[in-house]
Amino acid sequence: MSEREKTQFLRRVLCLGVVQFFLILILVGRLYVFQILESHHYHFLAEGNRMATRPIFPPRGQIYDRNGIPLAQNTPSFRLVLLTTRKDKVQEVLDIMSKFIYFPAPEKQEILKAIQKKRGLDSVIIKDGLTWSQVSVLELHSAELPGVSIEVGSVRTYPESSHGANLLGYVSSPSEQEQALESMLTLPGIKVGKGGLEKYFESRLRGKAGYKAFEVNARRKVVRELHQTPPLAGEPIHTTLDARLQAYVQNCLDLHKSASAVVLDIQTGDVLALASSPSFDPNLFPTGISHKNWDALRDNPYMPLTNKAISGLYPPGSTIKPFLALAALKAGIIDENTTIYCPGYVTIGNHKFHCMHAHGHINLEQALTHSCDVFFYEIGKRLGIDTMASLLQEFGLGSGGSEDFPYRRKGLVPTKHWKSEHKHAHWTVSDTIQASIGQGYMLATPLELALALARLVSGKKLLTRFEKGSTPSFSEMPYNNKHLDIIREGLNMTVNSPGSTAFSGRIPFEGMEMAGKTGTSQVRRITAAQRASGQTKTHSLGWECREHGLFIGYAPVHSPRFAIAVVVEHSSGSSTAVQTARDILIKAQLLEKEKSHDN
Amino acid sequence: MITEKVKKFTSLYHKVASLNWGIILLVLLISAMGWGLLTSAAGGDMGPWASKQMLRFCVGLVIMFAIALTNLRWWLQFSYIFYGISLLLLCGVEFLGFIGKGGQRWINLYILQLQPSELMKIALVLALARYFHSKPLPPSFSKLLIPFLLIIVPVLLVLRQPDLGTAMIFILMGGMLFFVAGVSLWGVFGVFVGTCISLPLLWTFLHEYQKKRILIFFDPGQDPLGAGYHITQSKIALGSGGLWGKGYMQGTQASLNFLPEKQTDFIFTLLCEEWGFIGGVFLIILYVFLILLSFRIVLTTLNTFGRFVAMGMTAIFSLYVIINIAMVMGLLPVVGIPLPLVSYGGTSLLTLLMGFGFLLNVGLHRTLKVPSASLGIL
Repeated sequence: MSEREKTQFLRRVLCLGVVQFFLILILVGRLYVFQILESHHYHFLAEGNRMATRPIFPPRGQIYDRNGIPLAQNTPSFRLVLLTTRKDKVQEVLDIMSKFIYFPAPEKQEILKAIQKKRGLDSVIIKDGLTWSQVSVLELHSAELPGVSIEVGSVRTYPESSHGANLLGYVSSPSEQEQALESMLTLPGIKVGKGGLEKYFESRLRGKAGYKAFEVNARRKVVRELHQTPPLAGEPIHTTLDARLQAYVQNCLDLHKSASAVVLDIQTGDVLALASSPSFDPNLFPTGISHKNWDALRDNPYMPLTNKAISGLYPPGSTIKPFLALAALKAGIIDENTTIYCPGYVTIGNHKFHCMHAHGHINLEQALTHSCDVFFYEIGKRLGIDTMASLLQEFGLGSGGSEDFPYRRKGLVPTKHWKSEHKHAHWTVSDTIQASIGQGYMLATPLELALALARLVSGKKLLTRFEKGSTPSFSEMPYNNKHLDIIREGLNMTVNSPGSTAFSGRIPFEGMEMAGKTGTSQVRRITAAQRASGQTKTHSLGWECREHGLFIGYAPVHSPRFAIAVVVEHSSGSSTAVQTARDILIKAQLLEKEKSHDN
Repeated sequence: MITEKVKKFTSLYHKVASLNWGIILLVLLISAMGWGLLTSAAGGDMGPWASKQMLRFCVGLVIMFAIALTNLRWWLQFSYIFYGISLLLLCGVEFLGFIGKGGQRWINLYILQLQPSELMKIALVLALARYFHSKPLPPSFSKLLIPFLLIIVPVLLVLRQPDLGTAMIFILMGGMLFFVAGVSLWGVFGVFVGTCISLPLLWTFLHEYQKKRILIFFDPGQDPLGAGYHITQSKIALGSGGLWGKGYMQGTQASLNFLPEKQTDFIFTLLCEEWGFIGGVFLIILYVFLILLSFRIVLTTLNTFGRFVAMGMTAIFSLYVIINIAMVMGLLPVVGIPLPLVSYGGTSLLTLLMGFGFLLNVGLHRTLKVPSASLGIL
């Protein structure tokens, strides 16, 4: 080998060495980028690979009545669960399963849909609330059902069943809109309050989900449990309701086709009972209501799913008369001795507004006891709509009667401004005339009426509440006590003086007497032709054309404790409402006595 | 007689003592790291891989020493025969080999399974070294036909199996020997152009999965849960190791089976996941030292045959290192090249130890004069 060859050889070997060295340097550089610069990113990916979490549900808070009787509780239940890792087998499993337990086709479709969305460790609840016999049948055939297991979960139950279902609400799976707002609601099997107290107290009842973190291998099999965050249980809620009174109220209302009632504690504003009839069984919902049951509830013409006590809007009729009387006294338009002549009607323009009878010369107390319309037409005219409206609003009409209760609606107290804005028309005298007997545009919910009466009776600016607490103090209403006494005496006479509108429904037991005001609200005007043919009542008309019967009242007269509002739809006359209120107020007082006896 | 024996003994003792112990130590160190990693890959169990690998290493070590202490001249004479036998075995794979892992790469020799393509690596180095030894350097263009054929025949045979990685090693190692032989840069350029032209031809040799792997290499994201899965998971394991790693046997990607082939081709990833950047760089430094020591032998050897043998073995070793590490980091397609001395596998370990045997042998015979005239029968 010559020197030249040698140096060339050495040069080329060195050249190769240098190239290799640089290649290795590049590798180290790439390693540096992976392990130092981008390490965080890859660490995150590796953790995602190895970890899988499974939620642990917080037990939902229980709901109790004021005496500690459970209204909504959690009961252990058996549920059928399918692991989504066995997705491919779902159809097959469902088919086999429907041989053993009843499984309608639309439910199958929903499960298939739900499973497509899930990944990894998740499992899907196929059927909740299995009966013992279903559990044993499925256990027996478990070998034929791969990926299926029976888990013990908990299901919401309502021991009072249909008593106050509308007020209590129910829980059910969250809708897609709800899930979009809160990620916690995407957890499989979670239930949320769908109305009533369950929805009202949702955030406190729900609690916080815990998590179990698992280490899983590449085939998503659990290797070991890593750690867990325990769930935070939902808060128990002690409501103001009295379950026994609630049940009684419900039973009273269920005697009628469609009715609602509210009982308030005049001293505290506690809602003691609030019911709407017809009711439904809330226990149908937590495990998923069947299509058949749902259709039946939805298509029922008496609307069992609507809580009429808070979202039923009715013309308040004569029940607003005591408030107008108070407005008139305050305004100084009349005093307790002022009389107005009632010829049986008034004519405004070319329209006749009728009264029940020609009452002749009549004072305030008589006008209340006999519910003379002409007297109040006159007061209304003199007061003007806006003065009337501001007083009614002060008593809580048009306010909804409670803060933000789910699905509660606000009544309507019309004003001149309201009419021009919504009806694009000027307020007329005949509007005032109709408003002064609670007809026309005016609307109120039973809860608003009960609240208004409680404020009138107590003279305090009461607020309703659903959660039990210490006795609140309320500010005084800006009314003269003497004026309030006059009105209260009028309400007493309305029920307890012979010949008055509600005398037949009075409470005949000493010390338990009630006072109040009846009302009827026309659903359909009585035409001039009908009136001419002697038809001034609506008994003879079809049910849905008859007038609503209303009553607002309180008891006992001498130390008011319970305020009530009752609406019986299409009862053609108020006597049914009065009798219902009477029964409820007797029961409320008996329960109160029983309680003080126990103590 | 006795003095004869003593002489022989002292000369053997002298030989052993003057072996390049730096190389032997590094080989031992790297292999020992490999055993540790194999134990970790089996979840702390020596059973499935580490103990077997240690046993093979012992056998390999004996062979390495045996080769190191033989006479280099003998290998020069034997080199073409060795090449011929290897070529026959390689052809034999077509008929005797069994199908496994998508490639007919093995011949079952009952005791251990022999991969003729591995043997061929050694044989090719020896044959090329002998050829260049017997020709004046730099060789003229026409003299390159025979070494070109020496390379291309086994390349085509392993491609038929198809073993993309080995074909790559043959070509690159051959190219490197051509380069140091002083082939004009035009010649090297010509070989490069020729390779480029033959690429489409090469493509038709490939199996569907290999084509897929190469396509995936250019775009690993296109199928992250399918064929791109391996490389994606390997990157995650590498990256999540960080500076210090997750700790020995704490690699989640490896122990939970997210990392594929963690005991063979992807063992470097396992190392980097558990020992971090520090561990990865440590092993690379050991490799660099080993390569440097090898280069020193290449540069200090006086005879041409020895130089080319040493250069060829060094080339094979360093190509293994670079290709494997580049592969697990997604810089090259996954071609099935193990990490030398660390990856689990018998035949590649044997080849490498034989290679080091030759390196040590050359190192021992640095100053030996090997005249072209002593070519003997061939």
